[in-house]
Amino acid sequence: MESERLAELLRLSSMKTIPPPCPEPESGQKYWRSLDQLADAPEFRQWLEREFPDGASEFTDPVSRRKFVQVMSASFLLGGLGVLGSGCRRPEEKILPFGKMPEGYVHGVPQFFATAMPTRGGAIPLLVKSHENRPVKIEGNPDHPDSNGSTDTFAQASILSLYDPDRAQRYTQGGNTISKEKALDTLTNVAKEFALNRGAKVAFVME
Amino acid sequence: MPAIFPKWTNQLPFILVVGGLLTATSVIGGLWYYFTPKYTRVGYQPIQPVAFPHSVHVDQLGLDCRYCHNAVETSWYSNVPSANTCMNCHNQVLKDDPKLALVRESYASGKPIPWVQIHKVPDYVYFNHSVHVNRGVSCVKCHGEINKMDEVYHAKPLSMTFCLDCHRNPELNVRPNDKITQLDWNWDADPHKAADMKLKFGQEAVKDWKVNASQNCSACHR
Repeated sequence: MESERLAELLRLSSMKTIPPPCPEPESGQKYWRSLDQLADAPEFRQWLEREFPDGASEFTDPVSRRKFVQVMSASFLLGGLGVLGSGCRRPEEKILPFGKMPEGYVHGVPQFFATAMPTRGGAIPLLVKSHENRPVKIEGNPDHPDSNGSTDTFAQASILSLYDPDRAQRYTQGGNTISKEKALDTLTNVAKEFALNRGAKVAFVME
Repeated sequence: MPAIFPKWTNQLPFILVVGGLLTATSVIGGLWYYFTPKYTRVGYQPIQPVAFPHSVHVDQLGLDCRYCHNAVETSWYSNVPSANTCMNCHNQVLKDDPKLALVRESYASGKPIPWVQIHKVPDYVYFNHSVHVNRGVSCVKCHGEINKMDEVYHAKPLSMTFCLDCHRNPELNVRPNDKITQLDWNWDADPHKAADMKLKFGQEAVKDWKVNASQNCSACHR
């Protein structure tokens, strides 16, 4: 009788992934899944019957739930007093206008910049929409006779490369960070040096 | 046998009902008064880094609002002027005044003056200045009589019902487009005549300008 009820328990769905009951063969070899099952140890029987292991549903931490709620309510109360003390207003926000505003700049209205994206055969004329000097959308330049405002998938997707985290964000020389001025100086010197021999033995390596 | 309850408990149901009603009324009334923008926002007057008197510049000198807030007609955002706008005049007028030290410093260094924001709709509200000032809604409707203020304060509640009051009756709240920045302008000295003129103009303007004062939620909460 007892074993029948146990077998019923095994068929119940459970929170724990219990191996589905294998149909035991009527005759022949009996299979077992662990040494405990083979020995039919009482610990194993208990483990099989209980859904959760011992102690899983008990909160034995010395900080009791009651204590936790007490502490948290006290801290919320203090937080509320702090808000009241600050005048019960939404936080103060600052408006920071330019010192010298660029001519023609209007905050809140996008600016459009005409540019081009080089391709192997030439370039695609583009118009870049930009909010607060942050480019947000690339379209073809409708005023350019080369494209009449059309773009290709590469030009459309190239906006993403501007926000690529792998994009170089500093100047380096031999792996060390250098200042922008120094980098430009170095490049100017290189340009001067090779201007003498009309660029012989110069090669650019680009990723 | 002595009474289990003392005699005053006969009054208890009455006390409970009346007390409960009084408490509920005062709680609702208190929330109504103290927890709405009419109380929490109106009158907010923070101290600004530079004591800029609108009364002097607008009322006495007659500057137009759009001399400084020049983007109000083209952008959703009405800009606070940059220091170079101030310096257009103040490189001649009061050019060594200590009150303007921060402006000169900002102009020289490019570091912004940290003005304290007063009028702010919540982030979940979209408000476009240009569409309002180009359709006959005056600055004074939402900002109050800025031209009379020495230091700007929050004059109107800018609550949701404040917006909707106007959006429900746009014809009563528009004025000719060339009078938008004349904050103390009135239709007529005679209030009856003024009301008639206002209604007549408003009805025509709403039709001609195709004013779509939407009351749809997504007009502002977009």
